[in-house]
Amino acid sequence: MNNDVAAGTAALRADRLGRRYGKVWGLRDCTLEVPPGVIAGLVGPNGAGKTTLLEMIIGLLEPTEGEVSVFGVTSRDRTAARLAQVGYVAQDHPLYRDFSVADMFHFGRAMNPSWDQQLAQERIDALGIPLKRKIKALSGGQRAQVSLTMALAKRARLLVLDEPVSSLDPVARLEFMQELMASAVGTGLTVIISSHVVSELERLCDWLIVLNGGRVQVAGPTDDLLEAHRLLTVPRGTPDAELPGLPIHRSDSERHSTVVVRADPALLVAQQPPGWQADPVGFEPLVMAYLQRRPELAATDDTASTTTEVTR
Amino acid sequence: MIWVNWRQHRSQAIACLGVLAALAVYAIVVSTSMRTAFTNDGLPACLARGPATSCENGILSFTNRFGSEVNVAFWSVLLIFPGLLGVIIGAPLIARELEFGTWRLAWSQSVTRTRWLVVKLSLVSGGVIVFGAAITAVITWYRAPMDRLTGHFIPNAYDFEGLVLTAYILCAFGFAVLAGLLIRRSIPAMIAAFVPWLVIRLVIEFVFRSHFLAPLTFVQRCNSPQSCYGGSGLGFIPPITGHIGDWVLGMGGRSTLAALKGHLGNTWVYQPADRFWTFQSIEAGIFVALTAIALGATIWLLHRRAA
Repeated sequence: MNNDVAAGTAALRADRLGRRYGKVWGLRDCTLEVPPGVIAGLVGPNGAGKTTLLEMIIGLLEPTEGEVSVFGVTSRDRTAARLAQVGYVAQDHPLYRDFSVADMFHFGRAMNPSWDQQLAQERIDALGIPLKRKIKALSGGQRAQVSLTMALAKRARLLVLDEPVSSLDPVARLEFMQELMASAVGTGLTVIISSHVVSELERLCDWLIVLNGGRVQVAGPTDDLLEAHRLLTVPRGTPDAELPGLPIHRSDSERHSTVVVRADPALLVAQQPPGWQADPVGFEPLVMAYLQRRPELAATDDTASTTTEVTR
Repeated sequence: MIWVNWRQHRSQAIACLGVLAALAVYAIVVSTSMRTAFTNDGLPACLARGPATSCENGILSFTNRFGSEVNVAFWSVLLIFPGLLGVIIGAPLIARELEFGTWRLAWSQSVTRTRWLVVKLSLVSGGVIVFGAAITAVITWYRAPMDRLTGHFIPNAYDFEGLVLTAYILCAFGFAVLAGLLIRRSIPAMIAAFVPWLVIRLVIEFVFRSHFLAPLTFVQRCNSPQSCYGGSGLGFIPPITGHIGDWVLGMGGRSTLAALKGHLGNTWVYQPADRFWTFQSIEAGIFVALTAIALGATIWLLHRRAA
């Protein structure tokens, strides 16, 4: 990992990546860079293109245009070594129903040269899941844990999770997220986790990617993004041009407008006309502002690409 | 990889062994009584002594007793068996992964999906070939006494002996694997593969098989119009050529009058018994080629398209 940092190799780099399904673009013009070691949250509503992006990262889906590379190796390089770099927890945790947990691990061992059987066994013991139990006899939460265990035991450098908790009950969600944090934080593992539930990612992610309408709306380190945005309360009818910075989302009440703006923090503090109020913006309101923003706006400015270049 | 495929296909393998065992038990029971009757009727000695025509009574009593059991019922039931077996094994091979979403699991491990497919196809096809050869061996042994009278060209023998039975299963398997990738659901893929398999299978048997090689002509001379009896088809033991196993296709061939040169008689066209293995190779070759096309297309499509 340290070598990668020194060499400037991103864990993930997407360059004008796009995928078309028939006439519809599932994802378009996606340019991203995620450094090694971060936990990146990929947020967007259903149909935003999250699964499309993740499947192209893994190599399950061919890009229509552009390119995506993991630790410098392009996905167009369809080799086993490329596949070995990414651990994947797919949506709904697909596993072979008539296999036992031990059989699934045997499968993992047979299909992955770097498989860590000890890690798999210890994790599953700690979770209290019997090795001999059939997958179809496990609860949804247990299946999710087996999927996560398999992805971790692959010993890949990048872990990709696609809506890992969307099918789980609240308790299982919490347990899954705790397990994931315990496994990922401080290990140097790079994680990309997608969700359409923003609150799930808030505590976990130090990097944020907001996707909507097949386009990246904003991406960058969470702290920098929070720093660079403010929630302004201004008199209703104040034109956008008078606002300090780029308005992302505006909602009007009877007398006031609240606007999420993106601007240089120093500038925001300096320019404060009377009657205006500038508050820090929270994680969830920030994400919501970008999700509610009309997707075509993101294409006309270069918010997405400039923000990714913010250094941590 | 071998373990993975064994684990995924072992219930099919066990079911196939069950079918084979049941067939073997049936074969042993029926064939034992058939072999006893064959000897008791004095047929081995009679056939060894001279022309088959002199064994008429023995042949008649033997075929009356065993003909229906070994021929008619057998053929009509087992005609579709290779196709059913092939599509049942072939259709879920990819379609089940797509149906249950496990393709995301299978193709995101450290094995390219092309290699995953090629290894899987090699192992499962290998299993199909072994099973086909075993079934062929059982049926060939079981029919052996009957075949000494009918030869191997009658459909009941030809379709289940030699090379073609295995080739039929492989072909249905190949069609079903491709259909499974294209249709993405097992049951519709089975149907989509079985129908063309059956059509090709029947068209080759009833339209093309008799033309694999140019037939020979047999000239039958008669002393008087009354003595010029005889018929075509496979039901006659021995056939009009007098040689067991020849497949008489019918009258005709070279101009009858020219061939007879003024004598009384008929000309017949036939495929000689010793062409059995040539015909088997040609027909099996056709089905293996169709299998190779279907499986080649599957590998190419899976490699090319991304899910």
